[in-house]
Amino acid sequence: MIREDELASAAATGNAECVGILLRDGVDVNAVNYFGRTPLQVMMMGSTAVSQLLLERGANPNVPDRKTGTTPLHDAAREGFLDTVEMLIKFNADTNARDHRDCRPIDLARENGHRDVVAFLESFRLQQ
Amino acid sequence: MVEETVLYLLVNRWSLHKGTNRTRRLAMAQDCAVQYEPVAEIGGGAYGTVYKARDRQSGKFVALKSVRVQTDQDGLPLSTVREVALLKRLEQFDHPNVVKLMDVCATLRTDQETKVTLVFEHVDQDLKTYLEKAPSPGLPASQIQDLMRQLLRGLAFLHSNCIVHRDLKPENILVTSRGQVKLADFGLARIYSCHMALTPVVVTLWYRAPEVLLQSSYATPVDIWSTGCIFAEMFRRKPLFRGESEVDQLGKIFEVIGLPTKEEWPTDVMLSQSNFSPISKRPISDFVPEITHQGADLLLNMLAFDPLRRISALNALDHPYFQEG
Repeated sequence: MIREDELASAAATGNAECVGILLRDGVDVNAVNYFGRTPLQVMMMGSTAVSQLLLERGANPNVPDRKTGTTPLHDAAREGFLDTVEMLIKFNADTNARDHRDCRPIDLARENGHRDVVAFLESFRLQQ
Repeated sequence: MVEETVLYLLVNRWSLHKGTNRTRRLAMAQDCAVQYEPVAEIGGGAYGTVYKARDRQSGKFVALKSVRVQTDQDGLPLSTVREVALLKRLEQFDHPNVVKLMDVCATLRTDQETKVTLVFEHVDQDLKTYLEKAPSPGLPASQIQDLMRQLLRGLAFLHSNCIVHRDLKPENILVTSRGQVKLADFGLARIYSCHMALTPVVVTLWYRAPEVLLQSSYATPVDIWSTGCIFAEMFRRKPLFRGESEVDQLGKIFEVIGLPTKEEWPTDVMLSQSNFSPISKRPISDFVPEITHQGADLLLNMLAFDPLRRISALNALDHPYFQEG
């Protein structure tokens, strides 16, 4: 397995230890894997340890999925992981990004009944 | 009835390719690939690879688990069809504590080999991650009780359907953002087993029951042992028994539960009791200090050396521990 694939797989399985080692080893945090996705796009959404490691290393939070237009913020909002939503926004994730169905992250959070995420995204918008 | 449906589904999808030209075959293979697009490899072994993929219809993530099976002129082996049918039958119960099997695809690769892909719901958080991110000093007692209740409900459901998980560990116990527990990776062992025998796969020993380590019997109690190890880990936030080999793992277990007597030792195993130094049982609270009295009693019932004396998932749910608080 090449190292870009390894990093993406470590991120996707929530293996923060392995993500840390690969990043220290110099694997490019924004390189795509065999499937054309960055580690942040495929990471285990519930793992704030992984998202923090990637974002602090300069992972771009605004890469949309090439087939669906979904950004990591869309995914975290849809799945209801508030801590990851907060982390992504702290690192300048675009709260107004629209996927190919023209939905913003807040729309997906609302669609899936994640009220805490909806409330957070709304309060963030008011601050702007 | 359901079995027939799956049989139909598999054989039908399979026969679509059979005897048709290469273009149709490719078109069919792509059909599955069009709806579910892999984005990362999340597991693998001798039996096939597991991918995190995106369902392009719903936009949600799924887990694709494929296994390559040998086929002949009669199509898929009946054993594979039966196992898949069993998984499909479970689906009808819509149990909240097991992952959903969303789809089954069969793709003919060559005339002798078919790839069967099981499409499961994907939850973006496992118990390992969940425990790691719990703020110090760890999960509150009420949350551990709730996780355990859900875990045991999922397990009781699998066991009542004669499914032994066999590899329960924090990595395949999933926890949604709402705190709902879902068991994953069950029921595949028998589909995989014949393939797994061919190549050694590195597996963790930490949650293995003594009878598995001794290569004795294999039944539902093996999952209760793993659940006991995980129960202790919820308090400790680190594994209870971290062995590096089968013998080392058994040694670590006996340091806690004591060395079983010669009478308790299974008769049909290679490793003899005299290989281990005599050691007596220590209070479980030495290893799991924060556990309550009732919690400790349940834990010890789960960590019984003799699988026949180990508590069942259903009886565990009736244990006074769940009345606490």
